[in-house]
Amino acid sequence: MSEPPRYPGYDVLAKRDTPSWNAKTREVIEQRLATPNVPRFFSAEEWAIADALCRRILPQTDDGDPVSLVALLDAKLLADHGDGFREASMPYMRDAWRLGLVAIDGEAKARHDGRDFAVLTDRERDALLRSMQAGEVSGKRWSGLDAKAFFARRILVDVPALYYAHPNAWNEIGFGGPASPRGYLRLGGDRLDPWEAVEAEPGQERAAERENHHVV
Amino acid sequence: MSSDPNLEPRATGGRAPDVFRKGGWVPMREYRESEAVDFAIVGTGAGGGTLAALLAEQGFSVVAFDAGGYFRPMEDFASDETAQNQLYWTDKRVLDGPNPIKMGGNNSGKAVGGSTVHYAMVSLRFRPEWFKSRTTLGYGADWPISWEEMWHYYGIAERQINISGPLTYPWGPKRPRYPYRAHELNTAGKLLAKGCEAIGIGWTETPLATLSAPHAGPEGKSPPCAYRGFCRFGCTTNAKRSALTVWIPRALAAGAEVRDLAMVGRIEMGSAGRATGVQYHRDGGWHFQRAKNVVVAGYAVETPRLLLNSATGVHADGLANGSGLVGKNLMTQTNAAVWGRMDEPVRWYKGPPSLALTEHWNYDDNKEFHGGYCWMGQGPLPNEWVSVQTGARGLWGEDLRRAMLDYNHMIGVKMVGEMLPNEANRVTLADDLDQYGLRVARITYAWGENDKALVNHSLEQMSASIHAIGAKDMFRQGDDTCHLGGTARMGSDPRTSVVDADCRSWDIPNLWVCDGSVFPTVGGVNPSLTIQAIAIRTADRIGKLAAAGEL
Amino acid sequence: MAGTRERLREMPRPVPEMPTAAVTAARRLNRAAGIIAASVLIDSAMEHYRGNFHNKAMWTPLVTSSLSIAVSIHGVSDKRHGAHPVRDLVYAAAGLVGAIGTGFHVYNVTKKVGGFSWQNIFYSAPLGAPAAMSLSGLMGFLAERVRDSEPEEEPELFGLPAGRVVAATTAVSLLGTAAEAGLLHFRGAFHNPAMLLPITMPPVAAALLGAAAAGDAAKARKGSRLWMAATAAMGVAGVAFHAYGVSRGMGGWRNWRQNAFAGPPLPAPPSFTGLALAGLAALALLKEHARE
Repeated sequence: MSEPPRYPGYDVLAKRDTPSWNAKTREVIEQRLATPNVPRFFSAEEWAIADALCRRILPQTDDGDPVSLVALLDAKLLADHGDGFREASMPYMRDAWRLGLVAIDGEAKARHDGRDFAVLTDRERDALLRSMQAGEVSGKRWSGLDAKAFFARRILVDVPALYYAHPNAWNEIGFGGPASPRGYLRLGGDRLDPWEAVEAEPGQERAAERENHHVV
Repeated sequence: MSSDPNLEPRATGGRAPDVFRKGGWVPMREYRESEAVDFAIVGTGAGGGTLAALLAEQGFSVVAFDAGGYFRPMEDFASDETAQNQLYWTDKRVLDGPNPIKMGGNNSGKAVGGSTVHYAMVSLRFRPEWFKSRTTLGYGADWPISWEEMWHYYGIAERQINISGPLTYPWGPKRPRYPYRAHELNTAGKLLAKGCEAIGIGWTETPLATLSAPHAGPEGKSPPCAYRGFCRFGCTTNAKRSALTVWIPRALAAGAEVRDLAMVGRIEMGSAGRATGVQYHRDGGWHFQRAKNVVVAGYAVETPRLLLNSATGVHADGLANGSGLVGKNLMTQTNAAVWGRMDEPVRWYKGPPSLALTEHWNYDDNKEFHGGYCWMGQGPLPNEWVSVQTGARGLWGEDLRRAMLDYNHMIGVKMVGEMLPNEANRVTLADDLDQYGLRVARITYAWGENDKALVNHSLEQMSASIHAIGAKDMFRQGDDTCHLGGTARMGSDPRTSVVDADCRSWDIPNLWVCDGSVFPTVGGVNPSLTIQAIAIRTADRIGKLAAAGEL
Repeated sequence: MAGTRERLREMPRPVPEMPTAAVTAARRLNRAAGIIAASVLIDSAMEHYRGNFHNKAMWTPLVTSSLSIAVSIHGVSDKRHGAHPVRDLVYAAAGLVGAIGTGFHVYNVTKKVGGFSWQNIFYSAPLGAPAAMSLSGLMGFLAERVRDSEPEEEPELFGLPAGRVVAATTAVSLLGTAAEAGLLHFRGAFHNPAMLLPITMPPVAAALLGAAAAGDAAKARKGSRLWMAATAAMGVAGVAFHAYGVSRGMGGWRNWRQNAFAGPPLPAPPSFTGLALAGLAALALLKEHARE
């Protein structure tokens, strides 16, 4: 994203050894950060489609250290960590994803002279996704899966959550992050505890960064 | 190396986890499966946990089962939304109907302590007239319990749970002082208050089941709330007053047994038209516990599911279903919201999400629809917030990332709205099987015209409220829902209800239901306090019935 | 004793070899003022740090209480008769700043949504806290007035025997301080029985001082002196209780950046100690007055 950081220098991970993190949190986040960047649930083809999909749902094109969302998605489906329910017209999460990815790729091939979804341009992929969201996509290749429902209640439910479960995202939005045993003393939005993210006023980015680098 | 509470039962070998001491244990009495205990309770949440404690304290032998794990909050809970999905019921379910209800963290827990382990601790009393909705307000159904009686049990519940609340409550008949003082408002709470004042309605500090001062009881010591904001993801502080920190420790101390990771799959019936015990899955196999009484407390989906799954030749439509109403009249509550952006920073992640609320529209009858609603402040953490952005606004891509940057300036007000009972809204059995080989629940739901009118009214009111204090770029979230009820409704007539006022089923004298399923109407407030009050009353009534030889 | 006084009268001023009762009482009152000022310094520093010193004026009580401590130390070691102009000035400033601070705090409370409500009285700027600054100034003022007499004279304030005035003033101060402690302990729902101490012991001390102020100065006040000592000890014990209270927060002392500020204020209880010492000074002055 080309916007200047709102919370320059703020790093939730820098608070790992402060009272803001407990042992269980460290264990959980370490595991998430160490997610192997290889398919274990998806096939190689599914991985490629899912990767191309995640890169448009949650673009990190200008980011220095992008998160591999496809790896997190693969891990989530491997562990089958979802909401558990299915809507009457949809299969359960894992089956829905496999069917949906194949169908998206089929849709891409049909629209773009046999080209895979993974090699389409950003604009072409966005256009395809937008027509899914608008309910303009259907057909036999969807195997009874409702494309609009798949987009709204599988893709949008599962993928953005992967990014916003990552410390990169927390830093970006200035979220206080893990908070146990230490919670918050000053509850006002305009009164910051020293372990919170300082928002950069326009022209004051350096000062905010200095404060954010000071971890207590 | 401590075991994984999701994989290995912890309440075994004569001991159960002491949630107040890291690595600590309390002794636990164990009962033989072959000897009938007085009460087998299925579910250890707001209904089952409370009842287990109060029955054990009266000297009854109690075994309480929970499909969920026995968590140690101080050690097992991470400050992480995703990891804490472990607290929710994520087993298979099928959602059906024109308006399928979203299940999960907003209404379905899976843990010893039930949904109270993840609830937002909002502890409100029903408006008195709601106990006679049909007679006094012209809709829904009457409860077979008077509001005066419920007021008495609310008082007991508030004292025992140790609610932290305001010194004067703006609505309803006078109530005793809450045991602890209300919490400090964060900016989100103060903005709700300003918004209410701006449109001329009252507001209050929310009575919350989390401590505003330290607490020391016979079962252990708890610090006060540390305002970490992860309330709905498990309270590591133990300031939250859940069944896990309040009732279960008392149950254990009084001689009850808790069996965690124990999924009850079937209630067995004997030839005398009485239940004989429960089949449950634990440690990789099925077992049978004999019981003189069975209490079902699995909340509004799992309770009817179990009763239906326990069908026999004689009870072909499921147990206690002479009225045909088991699973029917499912109600959820609407949970619409209005969100906006403030110029000033709000940082709603600090503290419990709903520190302030208004119940104005529960008590003002100047409306063109039945029922009421309250609304309260919000403090969604990043994952929950992104699901609002994608769900209500359909945002994704660069647009979504950019919108999320305003996280610390957002404000939201969210209502809890009464929905009317309708027999077509129901829990039935799907053909899908879960991991135990049991048929899963199919949850079928449709909104009625009254429900839609109520939500529309609330959206207008909430919009006006935050608009009046300068919220910009406002948007609405109209279709969310939350708590459940109604599927084993209580009444005074066996033809139109499943259980009587004592939560005893009409058809099977030793089969009881003690959870939100018994609500004939669902009201416009969060149900947890009412469920606990009903459980306290039921325990009282069981004591009296036993003394009179009527069990 | 009469012979001693005869000898004292013959000696030149200003330093008598035996300290007069007036000077002894004055030094006690300087000590009381200093202890209260120390409590105010640390308390206002902590609380205003919690408020991020968002208003520059929040530095003021740190300055005036520091100066009050300094002049009080000076006064405690000063065995001379006569008010000291610098001490008087600092104590007057402390009294004034306390009054202005109260105004700031009242504004802070009333401007919040809900105005003068329990929520804001509990959680916004504590209404009674700046008054402690004024109390230290008041004790210092009394110290200087008591000292401001001839060695052979009996000290008087506003035409009344000093002992009566100091006793009455201290009694009222004890009641006010007990009310502030009571308010915050009420906020804490009296979750620990020890929280009843500062709303029971100081009012009894106040009643005893009130009786002494109004009644027969010749009456032996051994019980009252013991109760003052007990109340002084209560102020010290309060710090230990509050330290325990901080440890009861999530994460205990390791999480001091939250708990030392969210939990019960460590520097607050010694204000009772200061007032109890002032009470002892009052009782000694009354005993002296009775002998006259």
